[in-house]
Amino acid sequence: MTAAAIQLHDLQKSFGLARIIQGVDLSIEQGERHAIIGPNGAGKSTLFNLITGKYVPTAGQVFMHGQDVGGLKPYQINRMGLSRSFQITNIFAKMTVFENIRCGLLWSMGYKYSFWHLINRQRAVSERADEILENINMTARRDELAGVLTYAEQRALEIGITIAGGADIIMLDEPTAGMSASETSYMVDLIRKVTKDKTLIIVEHDMGVVFDLADRISVLVYGEIIATDTPQKVRQSAAVQEAYLGSALEEAH
Amino acid sequence: MSVDNQSLAQRRAPLVPIRSALPWLIASGFLLLLPQVFPSGAGLTIMNQMAITIVFALAYNMLLGQAGMLSFGHAVYMGLGGFFCMHLLNQVEYNDLYLPLPLLPLFGGLFGLFFAFLIGSFSTRRAGTVFAMISLGVGELIAACSIIIVVFFGGEEGVSGDRTMGPEVLGFDFASQLEVYYLTAIWLVVAALGMYLFSRTPMGRIANAVRDNEERAEFLGYSQRYVRWISFCASGFFCGIAGALFAINFEILTEENLNLATSGSILLITFLGGVGFFIGPVIGAVVFTLLQTVLSLYTEIWQLYLGILFVLTVMFFPFGLTGLIAMHFRPWNLGKFGLLVRPYAVMAVPALVFVSSAVAVMEILFHARHASIGDEEMNLFGLTINTHSQVPLLVACVAVVVSFLVIKRLAPGLKEAWDEANHQERGAP
Repeated sequence: MTAAAIQLHDLQKSFGLARIIQGVDLSIEQGERHAIIGPNGAGKSTLFNLITGKYVPTAGQVFMHGQDVGGLKPYQINRMGLSRSFQITNIFAKMTVFENIRCGLLWSMGYKYSFWHLINRQRAVSERADEILENINMTARRDELAGVLTYAEQRALEIGITIAGGADIIMLDEPTAGMSASETSYMVDLIRKVTKDKTLIIVEHDMGVVFDLADRISVLVYGEIIATDTPQKVRQSAAVQEAYLGSALEEAH
Repeated sequence: MSVDNQSLAQRRAPLVPIRSALPWLIASGFLLLLPQVFPSGAGLTIMNQMAITIVFALAYNMLLGQAGMLSFGHAVYMGLGGFFCMHLLNQVEYNDLYLPLPLLPLFGGLFGLFFAFLIGSFSTRRAGTVFAMISLGVGELIAACSIIIVVFFGGEEGVSGDRTMGPEVLGFDFASQLEVYYLTAIWLVVAALGMYLFSRTPMGRIANAVRDNEERAEFLGYSQRYVRWISFCASGFFCGIAGALFAINFEILTEENLNLATSGSILLITFLGGVGFFIGPVIGAVVFTLLQTVLSLYTEIWQLYLGILFVLTVMFFPFGLTGLIAMHFRPWNLGKFGLLVRPYAVMAVPALVFVSSAVAVMEILFHARHASIGDEEMNLFGLTINTHSQVPLLVACVAVVVSFLVIKRLAPGLKEAWDEANHQERGAP
């Protein structure tokens, strides 16, 4: 049996005395689409930052494809095939849309810190970047500065940058936050399309998006996972209802 | 701005597209012909100084503009490169080291690279203020060392040498200014081209990415620290080349080449020219050197004017002199540049009066305070003025006030014309 894409073992994180993540065990299989939900301040983003190397765990371990990645830097984890987006739009605002995507490609295409290749001569990079632009439907905006795009476009671009490097684990932090209903459904389709056959881990507040996209859902409350199951069962779980979902579900309907 | 405007069609370009090679060919031709226009020794010295400053400023901008790192101690890398080259020249002279002079800048570059590698190994761990403060500390440290370690830095006298002692190259012994000019010019083109091409490589682009958003770059597989370190080393290399060119030209290096004043002026030069443009530091260096060499012939308070120019640039044109020029591309492309000619011409009259009368006020005051006793006359714009009578000062003051009021009066009209010239009608291409 192949190792799980992501496996968390008794993962803990404290900031001073505040215990934000209090012993999380979680296994996410390869190709699974996994959503993490929970009320504000439950520690979803912290969990994300622990997995992606932004924070160093206080205790416990993170395994990626069976390999312990605890304490590695974000760039090292990224090189092993994990890529993420951010809750707050995080793009290169002063570069063009095309260049943003290209930045996401360079390492994975083996250019590393090269100063002996002229970038505009690298046909393979340009072609791949254009393909990705096509994929996220942004070819028309190719030469615009990323900073002047609309909010929804910037979020889509961020997803483009995230998937560009060909990582097989994609982690999206609230990709539809602040979007209108039509923008959200467009985004869900886009995410489904570009993360096909990849492992997707998503933090999201919009229950519609979560139940639409996810194979399994983990409910994080006060730094602990109180349930991990299929959307159907999570919806029916009494504990989840009590802790969190009830109110959110009511809102969704 | 560092925007890559290559369009889709252009990507299938020939080996060296004419359009991108043309500016370099023109610049090279220009450098070739300059000595015909300014053949005097003083002219050549100024041009050499300009070329050295351009290389230094471009190298500085690899950090500030390309990688977003503000260094307050960058004279160190040019200075150390220069000192080592000076010692190499002395080795050539006294110990028969075989080293053709045209290759010296390469060694200067390697020395600069070495020290950038060493110091960058710890100073580039963090960006922003931390980096700036470390660079300041290291700059001060090395400058202090230069006084203390007399064996190497020569104390207050500095280290001097003779560039002509090496083997002749193609019959040149580099005794004449003109030969040194061409040597400097060739290295200028080589170094500038190198730095330009560096900005177009994956490394150069990722340096931009780290500048704009270091966290995002880190999550794309790039270590922000290594990116900064490599940028720092590359900058150090080209600073070292500038240092070697300085050694060749002036045949002496002193503490002044390392100190904070030099580090500060290169920041000023780069900012004045415009950090967001590759050509920015070139323009900054040319303007600065001209002010420094030519203006200083006419007035003792040229540094005051330079300071005022710098402050005004930072306040009103944060993209520098190059930004000021680039602002006019849009009206030009819209075919509306003509709309600006008249308002500019109208504004030029009071502006000229304002500048010259303000200069008059400062010069008269300076002369009245600092001229030797009994020297009450000065020459100003071709007029002989008694600085101890009240009348000229009063006239100048009135002219300042009146011209300022006129400028204020005209400003809204100019603004209107500017907006109109930048406005693209709906539906227009």
